Amino acid sequence: MTLRRGPLVLLSPAFGVFAVCFVLPAAYFFVVSFWQVRSYRLVKETTAENYLRVFTDYSGPLLDTLVLAFIVATTVTGFAFFYVYLCRFKAGRFAPLLLFAAMLTLFGGYLTKIYMWRTILGDSGILNASLITAGLIEEPISVFLFNPVAVVITLGHYLVPFAILPLYGVMHAIRDDPLEAARDLGASRWHVFRHIVLPQCRTGIVAAFTLTFLFTSGDFATARLVGGPDASLFGVFVQGQFTQRLNQPMGAAMAFTMLACCLVVVSAVALGVRRAVAYR
Amino acid sequence: MSLQASTDARSAVAPGPAPGAGRAEPLVRLSGVTRRFGAHVAVHPVDLAVHRHDFVAILGPSGCGKTSLLRMIGGFLEPSGGTIEIAGRDVTRLPPDRRPTNMVFQGYGLFPHMTVRQNVAYGLRIARVSAAERDRRVEEALALVHMESFADRLAPQLSGGQAQRVALARTLVMRPEVLLLDEPLAALDLKLRKTMQEELRGIHRSIGGTFVFVTHDQEEAMALANRILVMQDGRVVQEGGPTEIYGRPATRFVATFVGDANLFDGRRAGGRVDLDIGPAFADAGRDGPVTAVVRPQAITLETGPAAAAGAAGRGGDRIALDGRLVDIVPLGPSVKFLVAVGDREIAVTRTVTGPVEPLEIGSRVVLSWRPADQVVIAGGPAP
Repeated sequence: MTLRRGPLVLLSPAFGVFAVCFVLPAAYFFVVSFWQVRSYRLVKETTAENYLRVFTDYSGPLLDTLVLAFIVATTVTGFAFFYVYLCRFKAGRFAPLLLFAAMLTLFGGYLTKIYMWRTILGDSGILNASLITAGLIEEPISVFLFNPVAVVITLGHYLVPFAILPLYGVMHAIRDDPLEAARDLGASRWHVFRHIVLPQCRTGIVAAFTLTFLFTSGDFATARLVGGPDASLFGVFVQGQFTQRLNQPMGAAMAFTMLACCLVVVSAVALGVRRAVAYR
Repeated sequence: MSLQASTDARSAVAPGPAPGAGRAEPLVRLSGVTRRFGAHVAVHPVDLAVHRHDFVAILGPSGCGKTSLLRMIGGFLEPSGGTIEIAGRDVTRLPPDRRPTNMVFQGYGLFPHMTVRQNVAYGLRIARVSAAERDRRVEEALALVHMESFADRLAPQLSGGQAQRVALARTLVMRPEVLLLDEPLAALDLKLRKTMQEELRGIHRSIGGTFVFVTHDQEEAMALANRILVMQDGRVVQEGGPTEIYGRPATRFVATFVGDANLFDGRRAGGRVDLDIGPAFADAGRDGPVTAVVRPQAITLETGPAAAAGAAGRGGDRIALDGRLVDIVPLGPSVKFLVAVGDREIAVTRTVTGPVEPLEIGSRVVLSWRPADQVVIAGGPAP
């Protein structure tokens, strides 16, 4: 037992920061989510009313957000998987360059990217300008910006490097010997991918999906700036409860509902991926 | 049994039937197989015939092209020239999954996400062998390598020796025409390596397969193979049985790479060889620089009155040198003496059969050997 004290002591600063900056506030808001606000004052009455209201008043945006997050996470994870697969197995000596290129996009900040896509997709943007020059349209059209597709593109572009990292981690760890051994034992290229490569990528796929899904489901800035009225993410409403309506309990209840939903989706996906990629 | 002793025994008694002699069509035939990497030639044209039941070792130092040669037979590396035939079929351009060969990889190449049983069954599953037959053959293969009780372990939970056995079982279960092994025992510790060598011999004997393996370890090549290909800088420098390779090395490189050897530079003129170090002896052959190869165990070391008489006092039937004892290295079954002769240091080994008489370092000794125990190779040291 004395042996285990050392690591605990070393970990305690990190635990301390985590407890003070995350666990305590989260616990506080969890308690608050059961309270009420009357005339802009916090009333300590424990009731489940806030949670009921989430489902009656906000189930639309909640569901939309989860669906959007799922679409973004699946697209990004799929694209990143393809990209990393090429880097690991096909690109040879160009692999480091390709990976560096992907990581390079991290240098521009989050907001920079949002504005970049606004510039590309907007009325006076590159896309419209090129279409006009090409003579395909006469006046700028506004279909590119302020819709869910714009949100998917913007978030996707931002999130791809984050999905690439865990996938690169797992694929980099796959050794060449077993792949050659499989070929030697009669496996086709498809067999090698399905039986040897894919099962070893499981944790990376789940990590990439989880990262991108959680980021998207909690996002509100992108929806504000490129999403328009039809693409209001749940995060926008949560933010509104805290900043405009000054209804902390409602905001907290919405946030915890989202958290619970995310847990369910991520666990379901983790299980699904495990079944889908397992060697059987 | 120590390996030193086994090497000695094998050099004294020829093993098995003479390789390839008077037998039918070879199972594997390489004709002019070459491999270039850019401007670098990794394998110069190689001709090789492997017969059924052969146990062939491709022996050489790292970077000599031996692994490239094996990988070309297995289909993992395309030859830049030449053809490879297996069982009468040209397989030069066929991928590994369409060749009747299976390979044991240096890193074993076990599938880390599968159990031992799944690993061994994999090739049969791909070949769509029925489940009942598959189970039977997997059990059989695991029993052959004594791994039945580990069938449900995951591959990463195995030790090096166990992983080696599973890798072997995984290929044997496919009943390949030719089994290829790339440095199969290199990662194991000495004791385990000896055990696995004996097991490999046993398996080869019991299933009667055709094995080709690559090694940089000359003792391993001698202990396992009935034919050895010695490679140097991408070329096959000598090919033959272990006794022949050890007893009649064709070049200075083979002499020093396969076993320990003392090399003496000399010059032949008119059927007489003068060694630079002193002695001369009669030896027919072409005039020019030569090298006399003398194995450390072929040299007799004498002290006392014989040494006092000096090399000149020895009888004319032996080649003799005066020297001074520099060091004594006990090796267990044998003792190695290092003797200074002029500016040279010569190694002499003597098998230990009883208590060793004490010898004083620095004392004068006489070294001698019979001309019949040396091999004279044409050519001197590399310029």
